[in-house]
Amino acid sequence: MYLQSRHLTAWKDEFHDIIRGACGGFLFGIPLLYTMEVWWIGSTATPAAMLLAILTGFVIAFLLNRTAGFRKFKDIRTTDAVMDSIKSLAIGLICTVLMLTLLREITPHTPLYEILGKVLFEAVPFTIGVSLAAQLLQGSRTDNGTASQEKSFSKSTSEEINATLSDIGATLIGALIIAFNIAPTDEVRMLAAAVQNSWLIAIIVASWLISYLIVFEAGFSNQEKRRRQQGIFQHPVSETIACYLVSLIAAAFMLLFFQRLSFEDPWTMWLQYSILLGLPAGIGGSAGRLAV
Amino acid sequence: MTELNQSDAGHHEPQDQRSLNTIAEKTTLIIASAILAVVVALVGYLGLDAKNKTPPDLSLSRSGAIWEASGQFYVPFEVQNQGGKTAEAVQVIAELKVNGEVIEFGEQQIDFLSSGELEEGAFIFTQDPRQGVLSLRVSSYKLP
Repeated sequence: MYLQSRHLTAWKDEFHDIIRGACGGFLFGIPLLYTMEVWWIGSTATPAAMLLAILTGFVIAFLLNRTAGFRKFKDIRTTDAVMDSIKSLAIGLICTVLMLTLLREITPHTPLYEILGKVLFEAVPFTIGVSLAAQLLQGSRTDNGTASQEKSFSKSTSEEINATLSDIGATLIGALIIAFNIAPTDEVRMLAAAVQNSWLIAIIVASWLISYLIVFEAGFSNQEKRRRQQGIFQHPVSETIACYLVSLIAAAFMLLFFQRLSFEDPWTMWLQYSILLGLPAGIGGSAGRLAV
Repeated sequence: MTELNQSDAGHHEPQDQRSLNTIAEKTTLIIASAILAVVVALVGYLGLDAKNKTPPDLSLSRSGAIWEASGQFYVPFEVQNQGGKTAEAVQVIAELKVNGEVIEFGEQQIDFLSSGELEEGAFIFTQDPRQGVLSLRVSSYKLP
């Protein structure tokens, strides 16, 4: 019985560590995923360059895992760092394949050569993000003092509104930091041309899921604080959906600001572009809520 | 016996100490190593595959029937790289000749065509291409 629960805890810990790593990968890797030059570099890379990309990714991951990593443990030995670097690379590769498939940069018609090149070059920033995950958004992980203080507050309406406004503000800040760099570029337009409407639904679902995992499952700082957060959107699921909508509106405004969208454009184009930029904006928004 | 050993060691490890060699860690390590091995093997296969060293072999052909919309004629085409190396900035052109004279000309540039990759598009003419002679060809590319 004890052994079973110990195994279960070990699996849970491992699962959470991997989720934390993947979330770190998304936070660090998503801007480069929206960079067409990286797709092109991947498309034309030679096998030797691809092997070099794997090696570079592994060496950077190893150096980062020696000091940061994606786990909570502090006593990282060389063998641990090697094992974690292999896992960092694998997590980076899986996340990259999923994201490139979602954005239709990888389709069943894409040749193996191009798939490997794109995935390997996009996976390097993801792997760096995975290996930095424990250091991202670092802070007081379990601030019980604040917890008791917060519990003693009465849930007055004005406090709920303030908490909600604070959430919206934090989401906007995070969305701006990540998506403002992407909004003026041609990538959103190019991706919109490749992504069919049914895939937009998948992108929305992926945005929600990644956002939820970053805030409520990855174990970044302030996760417990987020779960205790007061405000109109108290439940993790409703908070995720509400903040995604905020990110979507922020994405539309960013595209309007950089004249990528105008009021003459059809609503379908607004929707397509906003959903595509809403993915990085939503990821940034999630990081923003953890940071505030 | 196992129960006894477990109860002997029945204290939780400190938060900052790593519990090495759990089945969970071993399993994920095996899966991660397998993923990495497959990727390295695929890259190795690409490196050894002689076909990947051959120059681009670009073919352009019509991919469907001509259709008319809003007074314009659309000629669908597909271009494929059957060679080994990737071609960049692939230029495809279409000429419509009537009585031996070129009366309309269309061109398109494809950013990249990897080995085996197929891209589709359409040339647009204001006059019906079925009334003349239509010729399609790839005019140029460059190596990345």
